[in-house]
Amino acid sequence: MDTLLRLEDLTMHYKTKAGWVQAIDGVSFSLDKGQSLGLVGESGCGKTSIAMSIMRLLPYNAQLVKGRILFGGRNLYALSDEEVRQLRWKEVAMIFQAAMNSLNPVYSVGNQIIEAIVTHEPETGEDEARERVESLFELVGIPKERMDHYPHEYSGGMKQRAVIAMALACNPSLIIADEPTTALDVIVQDKILREIEDIRRKINMSMIYISHDVSVIAEVSDVVGVMYAGKLLELGPADDVFKRPKNPYTYSLMHAYPSILGEKHDLVTIPGEPPNLLDPPTGCRFHPRCDWATKECGETAPLWREITEGHYLACHNPIRTKQGKSCKQQKTAKGGDVIDTSDGN
Amino acid sequence: MRRYVFGRLGQVILTLLIYVTLVYFLMQAMPGDITMMYLSNPKIPQAAREELRKQLGLDQSLFMQYFSYMKNFFRGELGVSFSQYPKPVWDILMEKLPRTFVLFLTANVLSFYIGFVLGKVIAWRRGRAIDYAATVVGITFWTAFYPLLALVVIWLFAYNLKWLPLNQFIDPRLWSTAPFTANQVFGNMVSGAAIVAIGIFLISYYLLRGLKPSRRSRVYAWSLAAALVAAVLVIAARKGMLIYIWDITRHMILPVLTLTLINFAGTMLLMRDSMLETVQEDYVLAARAKGLPDHVVRDRYAARTALLPTVTSLVLSLASSMSGGMVTETMFSWPGLGQTLFTAALSNDYPLATGALAFTGIFLLIAHFIADILYAVLDPRITYTGQSDV
Repeated sequence: MDTLLRLEDLTMHYKTKAGWVQAIDGVSFSLDKGQSLGLVGESGCGKTSIAMSIMRLLPYNAQLVKGRILFGGRNLYALSDEEVRQLRWKEVAMIFQAAMNSLNPVYSVGNQIIEAIVTHEPETGEDEARERVESLFELVGIPKERMDHYPHEYSGGMKQRAVIAMALACNPSLIIADEPTTALDVIVQDKILREIEDIRRKINMSMIYISHDVSVIAEVSDVVGVMYAGKLLELGPADDVFKRPKNPYTYSLMHAYPSILGEKHDLVTIPGEPPNLLDPPTGCRFHPRCDWATKECGETAPLWREITEGHYLACHNPIRTKQGKSCKQQKTAKGGDVIDTSDGN
Repeated sequence: MRRYVFGRLGQVILTLLIYVTLVYFLMQAMPGDITMMYLSNPKIPQAAREELRKQLGLDQSLFMQYFSYMKNFFRGELGVSFSQYPKPVWDILMEKLPRTFVLFLTANVLSFYIGFVLGKVIAWRRGRAIDYAATVVGITFWTAFYPLLALVVIWLFAYNLKWLPLNQFIDPRLWSTAPFTANQVFGNMVSGAAIVAIGIFLISYYLLRGLKPSRRSRVYAWSLAAALVAAVLVIAARKGMLIYIWDITRHMILPVLTLTLINFAGTMLLMRDSMLETVQEDYVLAARAKGLPDHVVRDRYAARTALLPTVTSLVLSLASSMSGGMVTETMFSWPGLGQTLFTAALSNDYPLATGALAFTGIFLLIAHFIADILYAVLDPRITYTGQSDV
């Protein structure tokens, strides 16, 4: 398959008064055409920074330290501002974290989508663009009469759909969905995720989902990347990563959620809190919170390597198969928290 | 909406009633009356003074005077001026009002526009040199003592450089042979300007609609606007008024300049502050992500929503400068409402002073009324359903 997007050793830091915040550190992955990638991790682990790096929408205090982003073979950071502007939305569109607020309150929703179309396709007339918006609205399930309404006249779920319609407006080859459904209740969330997936498969578009919610990622991604403190710890086919997690952090993240349909298991919490990225821990950034950590973990950073076909890992001491069971004793022995779901938690 | 408008109008009338009452008693509280001016005149004996008082109705009780004043006020009769007897107050005010209105409208709209554009630009380039430069210059003028600034401006442009007239509304030497009165020319000027303004508004409304007006319709719109301006000028020239219009315009430049200099920073800083908040909104980031050109993101997204609070400042400054216009009109000897009020107050001419103040109040109330309507036009989120506070 053709590679659409490739991040090579992307390292991006923010300059602050307190020093350099190492928001993204040595992240590499590639995304094929028509593939969907899910990035999962705690808040502040650099997921959104990656999205913004791909859009080249970083704040003024961000600096690309090393690495590059290749989109369709073109190095994004070698392009001029004007070239990037033309690339945005036409090639890479985005569904924002706060879809509720990403619509301009003083223009009608339809006009905001028409604006995107006529900006990128000047040959398209306004009437033609309007027709396209009508079919987009149909696609995402908003009555087309609502086109001329203002954002405040929409419900939360409708705004979310409108933002999705907007992302689809110029038929981009990649859509980055940054927490696309976080503000919605679970039922609407599920419905919208399924709709996005349907549309994506229909038009064979690539997608990057960003979420802190493992269940969201599990539902929609072909490939899953697990991030922690600005680093990618594990990346591989969704089935592989979720069924046989190799990185202890992935394992803990998976078991931090109760499963309704699966077997009952103990909920695992990860002791401590994410590190301060101004001064991240040496070696593996997760080692202070890791039950599997050895001396080596605190000294040298683990290499990013391919362990099986398409499954990448950065860990000195990966979990071997069937080790999951013994984890409970190990954790309790070390004083980690284990919560039994049968207690009603 | 209609219910709201009518309810609001009712409020306006009620407020006006209270306001005029207050103004009336405030004026009456001033010591003495018009006849005091004749005290030192030996030719007018005490008996004649009493007669004069009786004639002017000053011998009646205060409340009787008040009731007859209010009765007449709402019938549009403001009485007769004492100091310019027997000229009706209404006629005097109608002569002065347009001059004041045009002067301050021009100055306020100009300073609002300059403030809006500068505020938008410096907020977009915050922290750069232009931000500091505009802020320092703006604050300097904003804090300047107004009469002093007016004198400096007069000294520089009128006395030193001799580019513009010192003061006054017209040049008497030019007008002594004029076939028109100043008011005729001024009236024509105002209606001409109004025609041009309305015409340009209609042209841009009908031709430049939509997100991206085509090149042809833009050319069309510009040429239509130019033709309209030319037509108005040609009509003025054929009437032989052009030179007189130019004379009045020349006399307007300095007061407008001074008012603009002192006022623009207020709007500029308000706009800057307001926009520094909107640039952080998610929809501005989304607009950039959409690949819209920089100036579109700035104007249609960040500045458009930041505009709303600054409109309040435009309307209020317009209204307050009407009353504060006394200083300007005195400094520039501009024969308008402010100057009339000033001389009327000095000469105990109650009907004229009360009438002038009442008109200032009417302006203020109308301005607030327009502001309320304007919000609903500018911000679709505001709707007046007419339930509350009416």
